[in-house]
Amino acid sequence: MIMRYGFFPGCSYKGAAGYKESTEAVCRELGIELAEIKDWNCCGATSYWSTQDLKSYVLPARTMALAEKQGFTEIANICNACYSTLRKALTRLDEDGELKEKVNLALHEEGLEFTGNLKIRHFMEILVNDFDADEIKKHVKTDLAEFVVAPYYGCQLNRPWGDIDDTINPVLMDRLIKALGAKPLTNYSAKTECCGAAHMVAHSDSCVVLNRRIVKDAVEKGADTICTLCPLCQFNVDASQAGNKSVNMPVIFFTQLMGLAFGLGKNDLMLNKLLTPFKMAV
Amino acid sequence: MTDNTTLKDRFFKKYHGEEIQKCIQCGTCSGSCPFAPYMDFGPRQLFAMAREADMDEVLNSNTMWFCVSCYNCVVKCPRDISITDHMYSLKKMAAKESVKPPAMLDLYRSFNSPVEKYGRLTDAAAMAEFGLRHPVAALKNMPLGVKLVLKKRLEIKPRPLDNLSGFIKVMEKAEEMENQETNGKLANMESTKQ
Repeated sequence: MIMRYGFFPGCSYKGAAGYKESTEAVCRELGIELAEIKDWNCCGATSYWSTQDLKSYVLPARTMALAEKQGFTEIANICNACYSTLRKALTRLDEDGELKEKVNLALHEEGLEFTGNLKIRHFMEILVNDFDADEIKKHVKTDLAEFVVAPYYGCQLNRPWGDIDDTINPVLMDRLIKALGAKPLTNYSAKTECCGAAHMVAHSDSCVVLNRRIVKDAVEKGADTICTLCPLCQFNVDASQAGNKSVNMPVIFFTQLMGLAFGLGKNDLMLNKLLTPFKMAV
Repeated sequence: MTDNTTLKDRFFKKYHGEEIQKCIQCGTCSGSCPFAPYMDFGPRQLFAMAREADMDEVLNSNTMWFCVSCYNCVVKCPRDISITDHMYSLKKMAAKESVKPPAMLDLYRSFNSPVEKYGRLTDAAAMAEFGLRHPVAALKNMPLGVKLVLKKRLEIKPRPLDNLSGFIKVMEKAEEMENQETNGKLANMESTKQ
């Protein structure tokens, strides 16, 4: 049976190092259809929450309204910022009828209506919660038993919600890593430390310090790679290692780890797009 | 700059800032904030100042501009105060009071402008606009930009929406309602004061 979800790729999906290629390959392997929401727009993210009142709700609501119109009841996200923005808007609009009315007045200009009859999800969480680990195990072709993976969750998957997993010590991705036959680093205390997000552009010096901690914790505890689930997290943890010759910790997406386990090809993984090179002796 | 009492009122009423009256000043927020070392005042102190209506000090501080939306403080706050949301409100209020634009406000504006124009963001567009405002930072990011181009990861061409005209109408309507409300509420506030 093919599992089908409405898919919100977000603006950074295409530019993220091999995220798109590996996600598509993994979906083919497992029989998952991520059906792109037609004509989706930017969620607005922190930038709109920080500068705009109504528009910060209108942006995520438009994409959600399109999803509803296209018949989806669940939206799969691959970016923590998109995920949290959509969830936050959905929750607020559900609580505040007056605000929802205003948002809909704006959306009516395009003939759209937001009802809020949707569930916002992250693709990683979908893989863990909607799929049997034994099913995933059946696709594993490469032995990763000695491969130690530091699961880096970042901030906006579990915070502020804390409902799909713990806010400080989440373990969802640890379970996925185990299902793939690899070893999750279970004492990775930096797993939900902040990567600095967009502040990397304007305040790179202070962000590099934060990322050094995320990388160092993985290095010192013996990880072979850091595994991420958000394009911005991946970018910051990876790019912040430039100029530091003493560390060389690859930062890959969970979909690339799945591809490695499934024995998928070079073009499916696109590990050559990473900044810190990934090498594995398997 | 608008006077402190009006600003406090706006923060408490329009932006639901009155929630910070619940704050017990424990400092858990400042202790859990990854950017607290760079802030003029930690969130705890900032809220203490806002309660005393020292709003010009609050809005001219760099505190909220360093808030990165990690929600670390929110999940730890023993009084369940939505600290991140108050930081958003204070950023919006500070921008309206035309404080000297901090680098992050320029970054937000550089992010928003391609979104308003095309409905989606391309990194190259946002970076180019930010680079015009902050050439030194842009130069520092150049080597990284080159690497991304070489790895075919930097999208140069914008990807406008199919129904761009519809999207723009939606955003214009939102802006129009926003302005109406701001003007209405402000006028209302002023008249009750007199």
